[in-house]
Amino acid sequence: MAQRSRESHILFLLIVGLVGWLVPGGGHAVIGEKRHAIVIFVTIAALFVVGLYVGSIGVINPVSAKPWYLAQILNSPAVAALGHVTAKGDYGVYGKPGEIGQIYTSIGGLLNLLCIVNAVYLAHVRGTGGAAD
Amino acid sequence: MPAIATFVAASFIVPERISVDPQSMLWLLPLVAAVAIVYKATKVSKIKAANFVKEVVVLFGSIVIFMVITALVLYALAWLVTE
Repeated sequence: MAQRSRESHILFLLIVGLVGWLVPGGGHAVIGEKRHAIVIFVTIAALFVVGLYVGSIGVINPVSAKPWYLAQILNSPAVAALGHVTAKGDYGVYGKPGEIGQIYTSIGGLLNLLCIVNAVYLAHVRGTGGAAD
Repeated sequence: MPAIATFVAASFIVPERISVDPQSMLWLLPLVAAVAIVYKATKVSKIKAANFVKEVVVLFGSIVIFMVITALVLYALAWLVTE
């Protein structure tokens, strides 16, 4: 019985992490932190959209900018779909706008990673009856 | 496709015009604001508007001040090396 409870707890943590990756703030929504979820979603989505607007969707480049792409895909798996589109097309990315676009979208992804880890940690602490500070 | 949709799609395909000048450094401010907001959202246990905004503003100010100090130190170092 305890084994089953432990397995369901691990499954729940995986779901929290996965939902947090699918939609920024989703992990917090699953554990009932609606305000946190809204703040995180709006901020990360805005950062990502501004990055794309400034640098063009060409800043998502899975072919010749792989390290940036690894950070960008942490925003959401939807970035992979964008990467699929940009890998085929020829979208202009150059100079300062490209630089700003890459930085904005990548920082958005890394911030989402922070939120995923935080949501999973909170879910774990609450599941085991501990107290998060 | 309606004109407005075409305009929106086009604005995400062509990069904006941003020149390389001191004013372009201001692009760091929205980034710092986003970092401060998301970091504080993961730190506070309950989000209450007034308290949350206060905490975000303090963190935002701290980051900006630290970056200005770092920039001044680097500028002074560069000046010392090149003079």
